[in-house]
Amino acid sequence: MLLLVRSFDEWRAAARQLIVRRAPPESVQWTGQEEGGDLLSGAMPELPPQASQQPDVAPRVPRQLMEMLQSAACYRDPGRWAFLYRVLWRWHHGEQEILSMADEDGGRLQHMVKAVHHEVHDMHAYLRFRERPESAGAPRYVAWFEPAHDVLHEVALHFAKRMGRNSWLIATPEASVLWDGSTLHSTGPLMRSAADIDDPGEAMWLTYYRSIFNPARLNADIMHSHIRSRFWKNLPEAAVVPQMVSQAAAGARKVGQLDTVGKRKGATIPIAPEDAQPERQQPSTLDECRRCDLWQNATQAVGGQGARRAKVMLVGEQPGDQEDLAGKPFVGPAGELLDRAMDQAGMDRRKVYITNAVKHFKWEPRGKRRLHKTPGQREVMACHYWLETELEAIGPDVLVALGSTALKSIMQSGSVALKDHFGKPFQHEGRWVVATYHPSYALRVPSSEARAEALAAIVEALRTAKRLSEGGPPEDPMAA
Amino acid sequence: METIDKLEILADAAKYDASCASSGAPKRSSEGRDGIGATNGMGICHSYTPDGRCVSLLKILLTNFCAYDCQYCVNRRSSNVPRARFSVQEVVKLTVDFYLRNYIDGLFLSSGIIRSADYTMEQLVAVARELREVHQFRGYIHLKTIPDADAALIEAAGRYADRLSVNIELPTQNSIEQLAPEKSVHTIKLAMGNIRLKLDEKEAEPKAPVFAPAGQSTQMIVGADASDDQRILSTAETLYGSYKLKRVYYSAFSPIPQSPKSVPLAPPPLLREHRLYQADFLLRGYGFQVKELLPASGNLALDIDPKLAWALANREHFPMDLNRAELAMIARVPGIGLRNAKRIVELRRMRQVRYADLSRLRCSMKKIAPFIITADYSPARDTTPSETLRRAMADAPEQMPLWPELQAA
Ligand code: SF4
Repeated sequence: MLLLVRSFDEWRAAARQLIVRRAPPESVQWTGQEEGGDLLSGAMPELPPQASQQPDVAPRVPRQLMEMLQSAACYRDPGRWAFLYRVLWRWHHGEQEILSMADEDGGRLQHMVKAVHHEVHDMHAYLRFRERPESAGAPRYVAWFEPAHDVLHEVALHFAKRMGRNSWLIATPEASVLWDGSTLHSTGPLMRSAADIDDPGEAMWLTYYRSIFNPARLNADIMHSHIRSRFWKNLPEAAVVPQMVSQAAAGARKVGQLDTVGKRKGATIPIAPEDAQPERQQPSTLDECRRCDLWQNATQAVGGQGARRAKVMLVGEQPGDQEDLAGKPFVGPAGELLDRAMDQAGMDRRKVYITNAVKHFKWEPRGKRRLHKTPGQREVMACHYWLETELEAIGPDVLVALGSTALKSIMQSGSVALKDHFGKPFQHEGRWVVATYHPSYALRVPSSEARAEALAAIVEALRTAKRLSEGGPPEDPMAA
Repeated sequence: METIDKLEILADAAKYDASCASSGAPKRSSEGRDGIGATNGMGICHSYTPDGRCVSLLKILLTNFCAYDCQYCVNRRSSNVPRARFSVQEVVKLTVDFYLRNYIDGLFLSSGIIRSADYTMEQLVAVARELREVHQFRGYIHLKTIPDADAALIEAAGRYADRLSVNIELPTQNSIEQLAPEKSVHTIKLAMGNIRLKLDEKEAEPKAPVFAPAGQSTQMIVGADASDDQRILSTAETLYGSYKLKRVYYSAFSPIPQSPKSVPLAPPPLLREHRLYQADFLLRGYGFQVKELLPASGNLALDIDPKLAWALANREHFPMDLNRAELAMIARVPGIGLRNAKRIVELRRMRQVRYADLSRLRCSMKKIAPFIITADYSPARDTTPSETLRRAMADAPEQMPLWPELQAA
């Protein structure tokens, strides 16, 4: 049986019927051209039903394969329709390997798809429109291209999106498409070669092309490996390439500058170095701290914030990812939890002072994210200097140590354990200290029960701190 | 001065910035609408110049007048280069004209610092605004951000631009202080942090106004100071983690006319730059960490690629059974890329992987053989010393495909 198909849709309709009739690939001949003789175009002849065989079910083709078949159908090869039918037949009979490049037909299919995609890509990239004068009317932009596969229609859709209401024509040796600003018209060949239009825009392009080239990096082979040779003849820049290459090769490689730029008259800018300094807020001394290495990988130092004469100071561990960007303590998820705890304890955030034991974010890369890392005792001790400065300036009566790093910093000792002081206020250097969990602990524990308990413990510690700051007793008289 | 003369000077001045990608923008179309321009997220290189680099965007400076005196920069105030300045209108017209002729996918605009950081940033934003609002330009826009500029200006820039970038230029604070006295690592980091906060806000609040949908990137110059590759890659890793950068670009330092004594006069270290790109790709795409690629300070090997270097230094993982190993580990085999690693795992679901499959997948067989086990193949275990393998597999020195995947982000 000889079948004539001229488009993917015709092929698909025919192939579908053939599968239903269980016509094996060897029994069908496909052609894309009318060669005379007995041709059946697309539509299937009425075959007498074979008594022995029930018609097969229609093929179910996944979208991925259908798209591959459709792309491969643009590949200019006289055997394409027969090949596509063999692929479809094999898929229909359960041979999933057809999707793998390691299969022979699968490899050929992928090769065809890739070649067609490549051609579409290259036409998107290397097609050049020339502008016609306004007085000449539509089309305002004309391009000539010689594609190796039947991709013109798909490419035209791309340019319809790109060019808006501007009218244009793309001519190829086989066919042309015209866009009038709102509709696409397909016609036969309209031109025989590149348009002979004098477009002054091309001079601008060549100037740009020459200037953006860096002669110090001359590497013409790479250029040629990217743009396949058959495209060069229609690229306007092709005319200037040989001269650029030979100039760069003949000594101009010493610097990156274009020689015609170097020949122009130059000028230094008469500005005194002092005046060139941008007006910048002076970084605080905290920002300039180099007492340990943590500043290197952090964005900025995050100092404390709050009331200037606060009676209660909350001390956390160190800024996290969000705090590091915002430059403020406790703004991330842990900050939200702390806000909630303060709310429940009846503590006004504006009346306390909130800071961290360590002022720069310590982290290590985990994929594309920053993973919090607990600061070491050396860093805690180095940064204690800043906590000391804050204690002097604010003069709080009560310190709340949120977590063990905070406690270690306040006590200036690496050996204190949170569990020994947990929830039991004690005096240190003339101040009350209340130790409890760090809010991020309450975010981290897995069970919701333990989370609620941790939050309750923090609230309790804040209540105690508030009471102590108001001169109350260390133990809650109501608790008993 | 005619526009074409300015173009010659201001494109020449812009060529030292390595970034040229036009990918990552949301899909936009002008079909049947006023205005022009479309993006499909992929970006296209419209040409290549004889240095092997792609032309995807109209990459120019608004002006090369500059008050700063960065030693590695041809436009520094003490440099005797011809100076020019585009008007906002000129840049807009050039962009639209080039776009309609299909030379470019959009605009990458940068500038020397004139008057003040804020004034300069305002001018850059004005170009983008005019393109978007007056011409309804839907192509790609990348704006270089001036780190000292007001946060409100950066926010405005992000409304119009697909991508913002702040260049770190040099990998250490020390080098920046010495070679770029007017710049500050502190403000550069703050600007990057600021952009990331805005990107995060937008991600958390999809209805918020658009902000730089193609993200932010930066550039580091390689070979202008004494920093080694480990320093450079560690800085890159820090920046990726902290500011969610889409890309760090590495630009081999090119000697400039009337070069100051503080920077080298040597030709650009292109192979080193290429190795950094390969290493960077391993960090972003393959889950490698810098300390795996370069456990101690020093440079990447020049004769072999960083993945092969890692494999030769970590022979205990090999030979790896491709019918059992996890996807991420398969991708670590020299000669097998991410895509082929996926294909191998897919094929494995249907049947055993055999040696011949790999050559059909076009894996690099020369590299792969000592590192793998398949259903029908197993190399002699660990008998060949790594040094011998290395010599056999070293790249020929002239092979140097630059920009292997520049469009990949
Ligand atoms: S963490 Fe503290 S001690 Fe270390 S650099 Fe930062 S501010 Fe200074």
